[in-house]
This record gives sequence, C-alpha cells and structure tokens, in this order.
Amino acid sequence: MNVVTALKFYITKMTEESGPGMKVLLMDKQTTSIVSLAYSQSEILLKEVYLFERIDATVRSDGLKHLKCIVFIRPTKENVALLCNELRYPKYGVYYIYFSNIIAKADIKLLAESDEQEVVREVHEFYADYLAVSPHLFALGISACSQGLTWNPTHLHRTVQGITSVLLSLKKYPYIRYQHSSEMAKRLAEKIREVLGKESNSFNFRQESNPILLILDRRDDPITPLLNQWTYQAMVHELLTINNNRVDLSNVKGISKELKEVVLSGEHDEFYANNLYLNFGEIGQTIKELMEEFQRKAKKHQKVESIADMKNFVETYPMFKKMSGTVSKHVTVVGELSSLVGQYDLLKVSELEQELSCQSEHSAQLQKIKRLLNNPRIRDIDATRLVMLYALHYVKHTNNDITGLLDMLKKRGVPEKYTKLIHNVLEYSGVHTRQSNLFDREAVAKITKKLFKGLSGVDNIYTQHTPLLVETLEDLIKEKLSTQVFPYLGNMIMSRRPHDIIVFMIGGTTYEESLAVHNLNKQNPGTKIILGGTTIHNFESFAEEVQHATTGTAPRYRTRNN
Amino acid sequence: MFYYYQFRITISYVLTYSIWLLYDHVFQFNVKVCSATHKSLKRISYQALLIILQNLSLINKLTMAESTQILEGFLCPICMTDFKTPNQLTKHFEEVHNDDPEILKSLKDLFGKAKKKILKQDEYPELFDSSTLSTTKSNSPEINWGHQEIGFTRSHTKYFKEIRDARLERYSTETNKLLIRLDKLLRNLPVDPIDRKNHERTIVPWIDDKDVNLCPTCAKSFHIARRKHHCRLCGAIMCHDCTMFLSLSDARIMTSPVSVQDDSAVSPTSSESPITGRFVRAGIGLTKLARSPSSGSLNSVLSLVNDPASGEQHFRLCIHCKNLLDARERLKLRQFDKPITCQFYEKMRSYMEEATRYVSMYNKMYQSLSEGESTYNLRDAQILRSKIAKIGENIDTISKKILTFGVKDAENPVQGLELKLHQMVRASAVIFLKEQLLSLPAIPTEEEYQTLQTARQQRIEARIEYQKQLEMEERQREKKKEQKREIRSVADVGSSATKDQLVLDQSQGWGPSSAPLLPTSMDPIIEQMSNLRAYIKQARADCKFDEVATLENNLRELQSAYFAMKHSNSSDD
Repeated sequence: MNVVTALKFYITKMTEESGPGMKVLLMDKQTTSIVSLAYSQSEILLKEVYLFERIDATVRSDGLKHLKCIVFIRPTKENVALLCNELRYPKYGVYYIYFSNIIAKADIKLLAESDEQEVVREVHEFYADYLAVSPHLFALGISACSQGLTWNPTHLHRTVQGITSVLLSLKKYPYIRYQHSSEMAKRLAEKIREVLGKESNSFNFRQESNPILLILDRRDDPITPLLNQWTYQAMVHELLTINNNRVDLSNVKGISKELKEVVLSGEHDEFYANNLYLNFGEIGQTIKELMEEFQRKAKKHQKVESIADMKNFVETYPMFKKMSGTVSKHVTVVGELSSLVGQYDLLKVSELEQELSCQSEHSAQLQKIKRLLNNPRIRDIDATRLVMLYALHYVKHTNNDITGLLDMLKKRGVPEKYTKLIHNVLEYSGVHTRQSNLFDREAVAKITKKLFKGLSGVDNIYTQHTPLLVETLEDLIKEKLSTQVFPYLGNMIMSRRPHDIIVFMIGGTTYEESLAVHNLNKQNPGTKIILGGTTIHNFESFAEEVQHATTGTAPRYRTRNN
Repeated sequence: MFYYYQFRITISYVLTYSIWLLYDHVFQFNVKVCSATHKSLKRISYQALLIILQNLSLINKLTMAESTQILEGFLCPICMTDFKTPNQLTKHFEEVHNDDPEILKSLKDLFGKAKKKILKQDEYPELFDSSTLSTTKSNSPEINWGHQEIGFTRSHTKYFKEIRDARLERYSTETNKLLIRLDKLLRNLPVDPIDRKNHERTIVPWIDDKDVNLCPTCAKSFHIARRKHHCRLCGAIMCHDCTMFLSLSDARIMTSPVSVQDDSAVSPTSSESPITGRFVRAGIGLTKLARSPSSGSLNSVLSLVNDPASGEQHFRLCIHCKNLLDARERLKLRQFDKPITCQFYEKMRSYMEEATRYVSMYNKMYQSLSEGESTYNLRDAQILRSKIAKIGENIDTISKKILTFGVKDAENPVQGLELKLHQMVRASAVIFLKEQLLSLPAIPTEEEYQTLQTARQQRIEARIEYQKQLEMEERQREKKKEQKREIRSVADVGSSATKDQLVLDQSQGWGPSSAPLLPTSMDPIIEQMSNLRAYIKQARADCKFDEVATLENNLRELQSAYFAMKHSNSSDD
C-alpha cells in the first residue's frame, strides 16, 4: 500500500517492456505530471528514455524512425483522436501504448483502424492515473471540484477514474463508507461502486486485508485548510506553494538562476525525506547541522595540496556536488520561510488562529482579532483567515460581531475577493446543517487533553489544532466509527478490523492531514492508511475552492449593509 | 508514563528553564527511536519552540557556531545523572526513586525492548553502549508498507491486433497478388514491344476498351488527346495523367527477397529519399516519356520508335497499385532505417552493461577487502578497477562522438529532435559515469590492507575469546549439573577427516576426485591442482573473481590435503 511504489512499478514496466534501444515518451499534460512526480529526469534517462514529447503539442517536430515510442496518455476522447492521427502518420518506428485508465473497446477499434502501417506493438491499461505525492498521499489535481455545492460532472468523472485507478494499482477491492451528511460523498461512492460492479473481472483480488474506502467531504472541516502551518512541507506549501513537488522561488530577491525553481521530493532528496514532517524549529536545527557538515567537507576540499588530496577530491566530488545542491536549496527555502514569518508577524497570527480553532473565549478573542487587524504588518489573507475562523466559530454566538470585523477588513482595503469569502465559507461549511459543532468537539477534547498535560508536557501553542480527520480515522481503526454518520454503501457491513484504509477527501486535503495520517500509520503498525484528495490545499487554493463551490447558491448570510 | 529509553537534553535550555522544569515536573526529553511515544512526536516540544524563536535571527547567521551541547546516554529522568548502562540506570531507579513503580516498570520494559533490538543487530557485548543508540536518526522507524507487487494491468493488444490485422489482410493479399504478377511480368520479358505487350496481356487480363468510356479516377472522357492506358498490374483502364511509371530496375528490387536487396536502395543515411525519389522520377519522366502501346494504335508504335529505351524500362501502373506497392516499400524500409548513431549507441550500451557488471563485482571485492578478508586478491581488485576506468573512458568518448555527430556536417546539419536526442544520450552517459564509476571507493593500499587484516584477525580472536568465555560459563553451569551425574564421554573423533573430502566433492564437478585408484605417473592430486591453476587463470582473465576466490580456496584445501597425505605416508613408512 504505497502509492509512489505502485506508480514506479508501472512506469518501470513501461520502459522495460519495449526492450533495449533509444526511446521517446509521448504523454499528455496530466500524465507528464504523474511521471515527473515518480521519477526524476536523470533516473528516467538511465532507463533509455531520452526524449519527452507532448501528444497535444501544436507543433510536433519531425520523427525519428529508429526510436521506440512509449505512449502514456489518459483515455480521453481528445487523446484518442490525437493518437489516431499520430498512428496514421507515425513519426517513430514502433509504438507501445499505455492508457492510464479503463478505455472503451470502441476507442481501441478506432486506434486499430488507424494503424495502417502496423507500428503498434502493445496496447495496455496501466492504472497510473493519479499524482502520488508521498507514499501515503495522492491527489488528482482538480482545483475546484464543485459548483453550487454539487459535483461538476467532468470533475466527478475524473475523480471516479482517479479512485478506481488507485484501487486497481494497489489491487484492492474495498468496502465503501461515506459521509452521510454529504450529497457529494454519496454520489461519488455510488459512482465508484458502479464502476467496481462493471469491472468486476478486473477487481478479482484476494482480500485478506479488509480494505475500506472512506469518502469524506471537505465541507465538514473547513478549518484545517485555513490555518497557518509549522511543519516543513505544509509550511512550504502554505507560504510558497508546492506544485507537483516543485516550488517556484523566482519571486525571491537575488535568487540564483538554478534555484528559481526547486524540486522538493522525498524520493530523490534524502534530507527532505527525513525532515518534511519536522516543525520549523527542528528544521532550523537540522539545517544548521547540515551546514556545519557541509562546511567541514568544504574546508577539507579547500586544501588540495598533494596528489593524494587531488585524487581524494575527484573521488568525493560527485557526492560533494550533490550535497552542496541540497544545502543551498534547503537553506534558501528555509531562509525564505523565516523571512516571511518575520515580515508578516505570522507567529502572532498563528497563535490566534490556534486559539480560535481550539478555545472559546469570545470577547478576548474578538479583542485580539481587532488588534491584529490594525497591525499593518499582517497580510490581507491572514486578516481574512482570522475573520473567517471567527465567523465559523461564533456564527451562532448571540453577540457576534462578524459585520464589524467585515467593516474593519474593508477599511483596511482588503480586496473584495477576500471579504466575500467570509460569507462564502459560512455557506460552504453549512454551519446550520452540520450535525456536530467542530468547535464543541475541540472543547471537549481540550478538557481531556488537560488531564494528560501534567505528564506529556504543555502543548505547543502553534500546533494545538488536530484535524477532524484524525478523530474519524482513530474511530475507524478502533471500529467505533458510527454507521449512522458514515454508513456502508449497500447492505454489507464489515465485521473485522480494517487493515487497509483509503480515505478520500472531496474538495481537497491538506499537508496537515497528510502529516496526521503519517503519524497514524506509525502508531498503528497493523493498519495502513492512504489519504487522497481532489487536490492539496493551502489557503489560496482553498479560498478559490470555496468561492467556486458557493457560486450560484442562494446567499443566506448576507449582511444588512450589502 | 515514560516510554523513553534514550534522552537528549539541550543543556542551554535546561539551564534557563530548569527552575520551571523542576516545578512542573516536565522533562525536556527528545525522544528517539521509540514508536510508543507518538503522542509527543505529534507536537512541537517546548524545546523546539524556543528554537523557533531563536531561529528567526539564527537562520540568517547559520554559519555561526552555537554552543548547544547535547547530553546523551542513559539519563535518569528525575535527577538527570548519566548512567553508563541500562542495568545501572534501572538499579539506580530501584534504589533512589523507588516510590514510583510505574515508571520503573516502563523503564525496564523498554530496556528489554531496546536490548532485544540491539542484540539482534550486533552480537558483541562490548558494543552495547550508548554510542550505538545515538547513531539512530531522531525520526522514528520507517513505516513498513509491506510487500507490494505491480498493480493490476489489462492488455488490449490481442483485440487491437485482431481488428488491425483483419483490416490489413485485404491490403496484404492485394499487395501480394501484385507482387506475384510483377514477378511474372519480369520473368522472360521480351524486348520487342509487340511481344512484350502480348506477354503482359497473358499474365494480366486487360479490360476491354469498349467497356470504359470515362477514366475511373478523374472521370474525364477519352478522346484523341486523352488516350486509354492499361495498368500492367491490374489491367484497368485510365488516362495518361492518372498513371505512373515504375522502372524495371526498381521492380526487380521490389520482387527480390529482402535479404538480397541492394544496400544502396535502403542506405541508412538518406532515410526516405530512395522511395519517394523512385516515384518522383517516374512522375517527371512521365512528360517526356512516350506513351506505351495501346492496342493497335499507330501513334503509340510511332512514339515507341521515337523513344524506345525509356518505354522498355518502365511499367505503367495505376495510382491504386502504386500506392499499395509504395506502402509495402515503406514498411520494408523501416526495418532498415537505422542511422549510424544507432551503432554507436548500441556499443555504448554494451559497454555500460559490462561496466555495471564489473562495478557490482568490484563493490563486492571492496567490501571484502576493507573488512580485511582474504577472499579476493588485492591486485585483482586493482586490475578490475583500471579495467572499469577504461570502459568508462570508452563510454565517455562514444557518447561524445554521438553528441558531435553530424553537427559539423555543413550540408545537412543535425537539428531539432535528433540533435536533442544526441544531447540527451550524452547527458545520460555523463550521469551514468558520475553515479556508477566516479563514486567507486578506492581500494586500500598494501599497507592499509595489512592493518585491516590484522584488525580483522584481532576481531576474530576477540570473538573466539568471547565464545570461549560463553562456553566456559556454559560448561561451568553444566559441570554443576553433571556433578550429580556420571560424565558421559561424547568425544567425536574422525569427523574432521571426512571434511576435506566433502569440500572436494562440492567443487562443482571438476573431475573424479573420489576415485584415484590407479597409480599414474603423476599423483592425481597434483594433476588436480594443476588443473585448478589453469581454471584460476582462465577465470581471472574473464574477470570472474567470485570463481577465482572459490577456486583458490579449493586449491588451498587440496594442497593441505596433499601435504597431510604425504606427511602421513612418510610417517607410515
């Protein structure tokens, strides 16, 4: 149950099935991201794949008949049409075709009829149809999956495809549970069962591990993506945005050319793999250690006096070079993070965010928010997220002052696209319809936590919040998850303890939840959990998601002023 | 609950906050290697938080040294004194803090676990100190994802080929028919135009002129200026503009078996030019060419007289037949279309394969040598290393050649995709060299090797010593028991004598070692030994150092057996 390994298996098989010889990989936009997440370019070069082409490129250069072409594309109508055209006028010698998902027979027939020159050797379905970000985390790259609080049909289709491909690549035929309160979750669950039923020949695996697919809705926990993060990976995503493991640093002042875009991948960067779940403080420490080690080595390299030194230098140079790349990359990223934290007073913001999400002291918190809104160093989005959290928390409070805070935001000159979010997020979360109040739950948890505190040490004030997901998953592992709130689809009910759990979050997951799942995996050696989402959110992307989701719905929370 | 078995204290923080710490009974322990402590891993500990605050200024001056000192070892969580061994720590607990049995129990528990873990890794008790623990990284053990195989796949190849082949079947029978006809036409082709026409008509029945009023391809009517022509392969009628010419020489190439084909026709450098050229030529020739004879037409006979040579060298074909032949040629061509870089490339790949094979061998040798073992010869390793270096050089030069190939060609410079391909091939070669060959560890020098060997000797002795000690203890214990009983003698003599024989039998079937009955001029053992020496030489030449090692072992055993035998013989005498 490791999604990265699953993808690697597929891609390796693709490159090996065509035998030795120079190869070109022909992909579409999405499969390009899928492959680039699993393999670095240098790795794939060693598999004899030297050229990378896009099937949808407008200008395709002349072909080379002595190359073998590996086609890896999604089975969409456009791709099939493009491939038909390609086969009619082949640019390469032979073709090995791999579709990333289930393809209709009719499309295969179309392709076969286009292959007049007999260039096709193999046609397969390899279910690598999702972005494997970490061993336990996958995403589908859908930025706004709902419109008017229901599924956008194309996104629903893509989501069903994505989840079935995860199941097929891991060889799991799961029981399906979904969040009863969410219409979207129910629809997705039904669609997936439909596919599983139709493709029952494919899903013919031996099941000893009792796999379970749990479908959740982001709308049930809109808090998590609103918070500032303090673990390395989550923080980089929140402040600098990770896109397919790539971080764009071109906005950083005085950045050198090769660091304009850096790759942060646990597969290829050992330092990152060891540290992505550490918090910012610990990262500072390890970065320092890394620097010191590097300097020690660099000093050693500086005195090249004898031939032996020279020889030594040449022998260790590749390692040295690799290390210096890692050092400069992470020092730059962490340096940028720390300057942002200082510049925007993020510690203060984060402290209040955590209080808002975990404690209930209305008047004190309202005062703090007002104070921070007057602080000129606070970013607009941070101001917005504080008010959003306040609104979510106190919308039912009789003395709430959402209107007043909104006015303050407007006075600050916060753009309208942010101020609108306050009402949108209330609409999105559906506070009125929600069964359990998120904040009440936190309050209860708080009391029990206090009892523990005497022994385990006072909590870090910046990481008090635990995502709702943790509680759900812990219940699921202990078989305590309510079948009322999370019913099984169909009449079957699993009686044994689940070993393999695949959680899917409609509306996107977060790196904070990824970390939580990572920890749950560590705590429960018998159980393996994989987390997926339509996308991986930070505040910016979540704001977009909320805005898309709530367009076209009747505004229920309009204030008197507008 | 204290599930810690290793504690780390950052002194500077402890000093600053020790008062508070004591007050609150919270200890600054950074927990390592302890899956049970997940709760605390989830949160940022206080210590880390302090570092956050420091870091804001610190990161900018990361290079500056900072004097945080880390205490490691078996620390008592209450009085923070360091105890060298877990036993001592437990004892200390029992004596000093025996008021809290809960903690003591969990401590003991964990030491038990840790002990098990460490003992599994290493059997030597002298290594059982805090240093082994500190090597483990601060993050907890990797999540075990369990065994995983390649995910489900489904093949459509069969279905695809069924559809494609059914469709192409029609074309291929048609093409084959045309080729057979072409072959027949070429055989015994008469020179005389009239005879030739008759010959053509006997092989391919021509459609009657009266049946066709319009050209089937362009739908124009025939008249004196637009005459009727027959396709020589299918016999259909069409106008001059809708026909093409295929030269006899090209036709011969088409009908000859693939293996006999003239190389120039499918020369690798001018990829598609021969085939297009062939028909273009025919197309150009069209205007100049005389019309070939149509039945009983005086004009055509006249034109034939005008330009007999060209008329003789061509077959008139309709566009349909031409397309079919054309497609077949293209298919054939693809099999031969391999630019010269391909050969270079294949050579480079074979070198790479050789290199990886040698490198894995070398790494094995290096491991063994740096352990101080004598399985492999130091000189052999040196030779292998230089061999690898040579292969690396070859890969480098070939990849460079591929990179520069055709770039300087003024007429037809390599560009676009091909150029990029060459660059990428070079890049991959560089990566390969960097990762595989440049990172090879250096073998120890003669002197280093000596010291390594002595160190190993000492280690072995130490182990033997340790085992002896264990045995002693065991024996003492046994003795106590046995004092009550009668001592049984279980001396097992003679088992060692068979041992040599056994090894010989295992030596992978090199001759009959068990039946040296006939006294030959040479002692069979000596013969065997000389055989072995030859094998060793051969294996060394092939760089099969694994075999060299086993063979040498065998040789040594043989020698010792031989000497032992001689010795016993002489003592018998």
